[in-house]
Amino acid sequence: MELWMHQIERWFQQAEQWIRQQPAEQLYLTIAVVFIASILLILLRSFNPSKSNIIVLAGLSGSGKTILFYQLRDGSSHQGTVTSMEPNDDIFVLHSEVDKKAKTKPVHVVDVPGHSRLRPKLDVFLPQAAGLVFVVDALDFLPNCRVAAEYLYDILTKASIVKKKIPVLILCNKTDKVTAHSKEFIRKQLEKEIDKLRTSRTAISTADVTNEYTLGVPGEPFSFSHCQNQVTVAEASGLTGEVSQAEHFIREHVKP
Amino acid sequence: MLEQLLIFTRGGLILWTCKELGNALRGSPIDTLIRSCLLEERSADGVFNYDAPGAAAYTLKWTFHNELGLVFVAIYQRILHLLYVDELLYAMRQEFSHIYDPKRTAYDEFDEIFRQLHMEAEARAEEMRKLKQAGKAAPLLGKKQLQGPSQRGVQQGGRKQKSGSNIGSATDEDGADSEKHRGLVNNSSNGHQNGTKESIARKGKENGPPESGAFDVNKLQKLRAKGSKKNASAVISKTSKEEPKKNVKMNRVWGDSPPSESKLDFTNPGDESGEGVVEVVSADQGDSMMDKEEIVSSESEDEEDDKLEGAKSSVKKGWFSSMFQSISGNSVLEKSDLQPALKALKDRLMTKNVAEEIAEKLCESVAASLEGKKLGSFTRISSTVQAAMEEALLRILTPKRSIDILRDVHAAKEQGKPYVIVFVGVNGVGKSTNLAKVAYWLLQHEISVMLAACDTFRSGAVEQLRTHARRLQIPIFEKGYEKDPAIVAKEAIQEASRNKSDVVLVDTAGRMQDNEPLMRALSKLINLNNPDLVLFVGEALVGNDAVDQLSKFNQKLADLSAVPTARLIDGILLTKFDTIDDKVGAALSMVYISGAPVMFVGCGQSYTDLKKLNVKSIVKTLLK
Repeated sequence: MELWMHQIERWFQQAEQWIRQQPAEQLYLTIAVVFIASILLILLRSFNPSKSNIIVLAGLSGSGKTILFYQLRDGSSHQGTVTSMEPNDDIFVLHSEVDKKAKTKPVHVVDVPGHSRLRPKLDVFLPQAAGLVFVVDALDFLPNCRVAAEYLYDILTKASIVKKKIPVLILCNKTDKVTAHSKEFIRKQLEKEIDKLRTSRTAISTADVTNEYTLGVPGEPFSFSHCQNQVTVAEASGLTGEVSQAEHFIREHVKP
Repeated sequence: MLEQLLIFTRGGLILWTCKELGNALRGSPIDTLIRSCLLEERSADGVFNYDAPGAAAYTLKWTFHNELGLVFVAIYQRILHLLYVDELLYAMRQEFSHIYDPKRTAYDEFDEIFRQLHMEAEARAEEMRKLKQAGKAAPLLGKKQLQGPSQRGVQQGGRKQKSGSNIGSATDEDGADSEKHRGLVNNSSNGHQNGTKESIARKGKENGPPESGAFDVNKLQKLRAKGSKKNASAVISKTSKEEPKKNVKMNRVWGDSPPSESKLDFTNPGDESGEGVVEVVSADQGDSMMDKEEIVSSESEDEEDDKLEGAKSSVKKGWFSSMFQSISGNSVLEKSDLQPALKALKDRLMTKNVAEEIAEKLCESVAASLEGKKLGSFTRISSTVQAAMEEALLRILTPKRSIDILRDVHAAKEQGKPYVIVFVGVNGVGKSTNLAKVAYWLLQHEISVMLAACDTFRSGAVEQLRTHARRLQIPIFEKGYEKDPAIVAKEAIQEASRNKSDVVLVDTAGRMQDNEPLMRALSKLINLNNPDLVLFVGEALVGNDAVDQLSKFNQKLADLSAVPTARLIDGILLTKFDTIDDKVGAALSMVYISGAPVMFVGCGQSYTDLKKLNVKSIVKTLLK
């Protein structure tokens, strides 16, 4: 032990002498560089964590995602929308909360196009998602029920959703119209379709290339309560601006 | 004149519509434009024709502003030929880019600017027309008589060069507004670099200035009426001439022996019953490759090679300045900058067996989407182009509709009907072999299959299917040779619903896409039986002919169908994939030209050699 202490002391003395020998400017320069580098590192780390705080709007083409996006952001649907070719990505304070006195944190919402050729774009945003809103057209529901259920099934069986237990809100849009279906009806239909999909997709042997996990409890009819992540159903109307349930979901899951 | 004008972002928000032209559009032309044209990478065409339900036909023209991510679309009635639309769109693009702000969503002041631009464009078009008329009026008087007969001949010659659609448009425009044509007749080419189909049709009608010089407008109308009728009859006579040739097919006589009149059907009636002489064990060769996962290796090593290759192939345009610009990232991409990189990319695609026409169109579409964009810092042009092309390829090859056949089979099963799949294609691509593979795969998923032998032409086709059915131990419906395939298919489907088979696989004879009577027979089969899936079987070895095959098959199926919503090709089965190493371009050509997804890939000659198409690996191989 003594020998070690001695050695260390001698090293310290040698280092001191060496430092004394260097000219002063160089010393200051090195200290400055080290200081700046460490500050940059701290800044970068605080700005760039891989924390997930994106709310993703997904759904079939024509279900009303882009209108919903602009309602959340600006409170109006402006002059209408057409089929999106690219995602709409913005960080903003929810329009209904702009007038609040307390400082509300802006949310990062991404509207992913629903066209089937642009599905891969969803995978870009999922790793950082904190919540997913699956928008369903309540007016034109039955003809598209199967396709919507397939899309929802694909989303619910993706690895990132299952592992991180990302909450999903099934939003029935266009409820301002008289012939729109109720959210209970939509929920039951989707559960039935996903049940059928479960049997037809898991009947395949070990590796179906697209689906990574299986849903629900085998042997029982599928219900959204079987999912490990939280799946809820709500109603909204993009055109009239009735989006309070969606905003509630967003507020719940984005850390304030 | 114009029905509607729109400016919208690529994310889908409409920024501005023209309030003066507030006519309600029938159907949904913009959404159709986006879905079937812009997202299908056909954006280089520049023109899109839309037929709304309710007898309204629109033409849509568009232009992009790639830097700001905006799309400018003009819609007008198809019977009008407005030639100032392109200019107007470009002028609008210029003006709007000055006032555009990503934060704003309402641009009311643009109304005023637009009105000005519109008037200017119309005025310029008027001027052009007047100039042409004045220029033509002087020399025409002397040449009237001589021009007559020669014009008709030249007209026909000029028209034969144009595509069939122009002939169609010429005949239907004849009846409508002839006064307008008299007015706008000379308005076609000169200053406007349009290159649109409308102007070409106009050139055809008035015979184009370089071909015949000047002529009288009244004479033109008479000649046009005569010439179009003549041309239509010429077209009809051409096809009718082909038909009688094909119908009468004499048996070939080899040597001196008289032709034998006996039927060439050597099927032994004894073999048709039960198991026959040979004891056959049911085929079980393990899992079909459809159910095995494909492991895609990481791409990091390939990128380095790509970058080096890209650097060598791009033209050195002043090394210093280009280096600076790529670092600072301020250069705006021009068409001339993109050309060398695109040409290199096109050559690379063609060496991978992509059809030449498809590669050309793809490159143009990528150029249209990149022009005017600012180069990011520290990126080279070639890498930007590469990234854009990769995205475009991924988009094209991603299926538009679900390719989950098992789900569809289950849905049909619930409804109590059999799910019918028809295999069509040219000769020798592997329809019967792959039909057996699909049957094997379906059997592995506990779905009962029945085969229908509707290839009643080729000797041995029915026996081939019979052998497969015996090995797989599934029922087969066949009626021997020289029967009408459509009737055989119909009866097969009835038989299947009687004995509760889930799927019926219908094998048809191979036929060339130019063979009119055979295509008619195929169309009859499909219309009569209305199958759930029409699968086009194409081999991966095919080169430029893939484009021709698929487009003609689709066209014939559409033309010869009795109902307005014709059944077209729903999916593609790519065969002989194991024979090509990395020349996978046929998949791209076929998907691009037909829009149908690749449902299966046949990669060998045994029952298990059936795979799904792995889009990412194909894109990687194409761009390697």
